[in-house]
Amino acid sequence: VKLAEILEVTAEHAGRTDTEAAFPIEALEVMRSSGLLRLVVPAEYGGLGGTVADMLDVTLQLGREDMSVAMIFAMHCQQALTLVRHASPELAASILPDLGYLASVTTERGKGGNLLMSESTVDSDGSQLKIDRDAPIVTGGPHADGYLVTTLAPDATSPNQVSLVYVARHQVEVEVLGGWQPLGMRSTLSVPMRLTGQVPVGQTIGEAGGFRSIVTRTFGPLAHLGWSAAWLGTAAGALSRVVQHIRSDRKQFDTESELLLAGLARVRGRIDTVHASLRHTLQAFQTADLSTTPVQMLVNTLKVFAAEECFTAVNELVDLVGLRHGYLTGSPLRLERALRDLRSASLNYSNQRLVLANGSLVLLDQQVHLV
Amino acid sequence: VDANFVQVLQPFLKYAEDEEITGASRLRDLGLDSMRAIQLLFAVEDTYGMSLPDELLTDSTFDTAGSLWAAIESVRVHS
Repeated sequence: VKLAEILEVTAEHAGRTDTEAAFPIEALEVMRSSGLLRLVVPAEYGGLGGTVADMLDVTLQLGREDMSVAMIFAMHCQQALTLVRHASPELAASILPDLGYLASVTTERGKGGNLLMSESTVDSDGSQLKIDRDAPIVTGGPHADGYLVTTLAPDATSPNQVSLVYVARHQVEVEVLGGWQPLGMRSTLSVPMRLTGQVPVGQTIGEAGGFRSIVTRTFGPLAHLGWSAAWLGTAAGALSRVVQHIRSDRKQFDTESELLLAGLARVRGRIDTVHASLRHTLQAFQTADLSTTPVQMLVNTLKVFAAEECFTAVNELVDLVGLRHGYLTGSPLRLERALRDLRSASLNYSNQRLVLANGSLVLLDQQVHLV
Repeated sequence: VDANFVQVLQPFLKYAEDEEITGASRLRDLGLDSMRAIQLLFAVEDTYGMSLPDELLTDSTFDTAGSLWAAIESVRVHS
């Protein structure tokens, strides 16, 4: 896979897709044709056999060009790995060899982003699941080839018995119920959608009602790792452009200014500490027991910390370079876009919700075990 | 699990309704989230006058009424 070509196509269309709030179909097309969408699919299924570290490296690179594309790619890989790790062998063999772009249908009106609850009932005759699923936010939904959908288990007696089901696009009726006109991450095209149709019961991923354990082991940690990589790439790209700009225009910048130097050092420090946290959390994800509270806190903290620090880093860059290059849309430094994009980070699965969850977890670990 | 323990559990399981709580009852399915889990832990510790060590406070301990009861028993036996 020629990553350079994918990055080039991503960069070429990023300005227009941001302005128009349009999905980056050119970038998706080259990711599809190059095989990058099958990065984490094992070689036995015709994929590239990439690791989670590979997924994060590519996401970081994409984030330097376009945060929306990085988010789309990271979330696609999160779902592809969920299939790889939790789908039955028969289901995996039927989907993975021709894997296209996967979108997730996990949001619901009334419960926001809470993954572990659903009010969406399904009827089942034992062989088919009858799906009628309405979701307020489906990233890239209109362009997806398949969906991972949360619903209640067919025999659920409480809203906490959530199943994850694979749905191919051709199996269902897909309706787009509204538009997407946000401040930032505009080209993720995260629109409200409704899916209706029937799929075989065998397309349930893991046990019926068993999505919780998939969230703990795979879906949750990979979301936080992937998003954090996208945000880190965005902040690193912004600093890189600012440094190149300062180096090439030394008449305009006093490179002995203590304000400038101290400011740059702080921004770089934020980026490096997010990166350290990302790598450390990745290592914990690969080696530690994800059902334990210290590891769960670490994974949640990565997301909260990366969201805050990456936004703050770019916000500080805006002050350092001033109005013309920090605030105007036409500047090649693209700081205003990075700032708008990164403002979404604390909202994209609410930091407040995660901090509350971590608050309870802190009380469960009296000895403060460091992971 | 004993009847007294079921009474301790009841207020934290908002979806239990009229369902009988047994050792196999899955606490997460009955409404126990991470915020309620810590409140349940405090209720258990107050009721039984003991403290569960950090190592026992995992997802699997809070899986079913029976697994939580087993954790409580393991501490009571040793104290």
